[in-house]
Amino acid sequence: MVNFRGSRVLEIGCGNGRVTWRYADKAAHVTGIDPDAKQIALAREQLPSQLQDCIEFHSIAFEDFASASEASAFDIVILARSLC
Amino acid sequence: MVHALEEIHRLLKPNGALIDIHPVSEPSPIEIHQAGKVDLVGLLSVRQWCFEFEQADIALAEIIQRGVFTVERNALFDLPTHYASAAELGTDLKESVEIFARDAQAAIEPLPHVEALTAQAEELMRAAVSGAELIVHERTHISRLRPT
Repeated sequence: MVNFRGSRVLEIGCGNGRVTWRYADKAAHVTGIDPDAKQIALAREQLPSQLQDCIEFHSIAFEDFASASEASAFDIVILARSLC
Repeated sequence: MVHALEEIHRLLKPNGALIDIHPVSEPSPIEIHQAGKVDLVGLLSVRQWCFEFEQADIALAEIIQRGVFTVERNALFDLPTHYASAAELGTDLKESVEIFARDAQAAIEPLPHVEALTAQAEELMRAAVSGAELIVHERTHISRLRPT
């Protein structure tokens, strides 16, 4: 379904990283965002050491993240339950 | 939801892809697995979640109809979540309900349903053999969309 190799990925609604761990080792860089600070703290705690250089997690609402982001910044955007 | 999809279109490179993953609006079975045997604990059915999932489908359909994205692939798969104890299941479900209530700014109506399921899981896990686990199966929809 998706080729992550070498991609810059934005995951919206990443929560505690449950989906992130499944693909992050293939991507060039992953930005995970979620408005829930508790879930982001859990994701940071569980971040495997070998992925620390290629993943960043932010506790932020998508609207705020988008307004501060440049156009055409990502190869792949993942909405993990977060359109709901 | 539609505005968020328009923003995502702006953030994506022209040859990029949007991957949408959300559960389909149907109850999720909770099972207990032990010694090669599977028993049903109950069905996790939260009416408000189903409504939200349907709204997500409607928003995607609208954005596709307007030509902002085109669908490249659609698939359904089973997304299992494993729990070693009923307490772990109960905590996770309760947190999910609270997050939903906060995001939707709605009352926490489904909590009694979740608590009843957790109690049922606790009873079955007490009688289960060592190494038993609880699994929630969510039927999940995944789509790959291309910005146009």
